[in-house]
Amino acid sequence: MNHLSEEQLIDHYYGKAESSAAASKHLQACDDCARSYASLASDLGAIKPPSVPERSAAYGEEVWQAIRGTLPVYEPVKAKSHWNWLVLKPWSLAAAATACLLIAAAFFAGRQWEHRNSSIATHAVNADAGKQRVVLVVLGDHLDRSERLLVGLEHAEPSTEASLQAEARDILSANRLYRASLNQTDDPVLAAALDHLERVLVEVSNQPAGLSQTKLVELQKEMNTDGLLFEVRILRSRVQEDVDRNNAVAAKKGVSIL
Amino acid sequence: MEVNDHVIVRKVLDGDKEAYGTLVARHSPTVFRVAFRITGDEADADEVVQEAFLRGYQRLQTFESRSEFRTWIYRIAVNCALNMTSKRKVEATYQIGEETDPVTQQVQVADHAAGPERTLLSREIQSLQTAALGTLTPTERTAFLLRHMEDRSTAEIASVLEIAPNAAKQAVFRAVQKLRRSLAPLRVNP
Ligand SMILES: [Zn+2]
Repeated sequence: MNHLSEEQLIDHYYGKAESSAAASKHLQACDDCARSYASLASDLGAIKPPSVPERSAAYGEEVWQAIRGTLPVYEPVKAKSHWNWLVLKPWSLAAAATACLLIAAAFFAGRQWEHRNSSIATHAVNADAGKQRVVLVVLGDHLDRSERLLVGLEHAEPSTEASLQAEARDILSANRLYRASLNQTDDPVLAAALDHLERVLVEVSNQPAGLSQTKLVELQKEMNTDGLLFEVRILRSRVQEDVDRNNAVAAKKGVSIL
Repeated sequence: MEVNDHVIVRKVLDGDKEAYGTLVARHSPTVFRVAFRITGDEADADEVVQEAFLRGYQRLQTFESRSEFRTWIYRIAVNCALNMTSKRKVEATYQIGEETDPVTQQVQVADHAAGPERTLLSREIQSLQTAALGTLTPTERTAFLLRHMEDRSTAEIASVLEIAPNAAKQAVFRAVQKLRRSLAPLRVNP
């Protein structure tokens, strides 16, 4: 048998079971390979996993308490249409439609609750917080997805152009719904970014001959996709801050008794 | 005897929301561990745990009874953790652009120097390892972490990362090659 390749040695190191008996046999017989294997084993053995911080026995319960307020109850199969928007593909249009109905309300509620004083009933705050957290997660996903598309556009290769275009059409439908659910006055920065995003998505979606590199460069320049990517990233981190604050408020209030 | 995960999932889908709490309690420690290994940050890992179970609940109807809940939620958590690290990377890029912070760096150096020799050395090794891991692509890094620290098989890694088994194998292979190269200075001479 030939000497073992580095790949075979690595396989052997991690999974004796996955490695062939022939490899073990060869290692016993061949000094060269045995030496390579020893060196590999010593290198890999030196990479120690960092110790994972302890979590208390109540950790799971704490996690549950932190999220349970945001979760709707599943309805038995017969009548599940009520909350179908959480089901299956979160990015289906139905999901986007229902989520965006909540967006304006949730942003409004969020602002209100920041101004409220602490005498407000914990239940109400937590109900808002729960709803807002879910909405923010959904919106965060939309921004993530848009960010990935924009990055994809900047580095598009001929082989990926068709899928980028399909993805753009998909995001466009969701984006229109989000955009429609937001008043200019609710959150002008978000509204403006979604507008800008929509214009880019329309351009990308509507290239009948597909995207060419020339067209992409043109788009990047004319539509300032760099700038848009920056806006989306800022918004993404802002949405995340909202999620964090939302969690922090919920935690301080003694959390989600829904 | 412990109630089987599949039975609990069924109950949740039949309207017993509280039953999900059992799944959360049961699998939080494992999910936290992998989240911490990927993000390298305690607070981020806590956030990933919450997000993973939140998403798990949202997608519970897509959970197929022929798979294991623990593997399924693990996969969701790995993806949440990967998103978290790429988000942190984006933030870090902006921070570097905005503020070079010589003060913090000096403080860190001083702090290092103050420690006893041994702590210093292991910290140096640790930070070299972290840096080396940082040079890997997210797929390579995660594949390696799952293989090296979480003892996952190639098949499991492939399933978690939703790539072909051979691609998972290649990712581990490339990761090991790159790591050996970057960590060569640490090698004890024979
Ligand atoms: Zn040999």
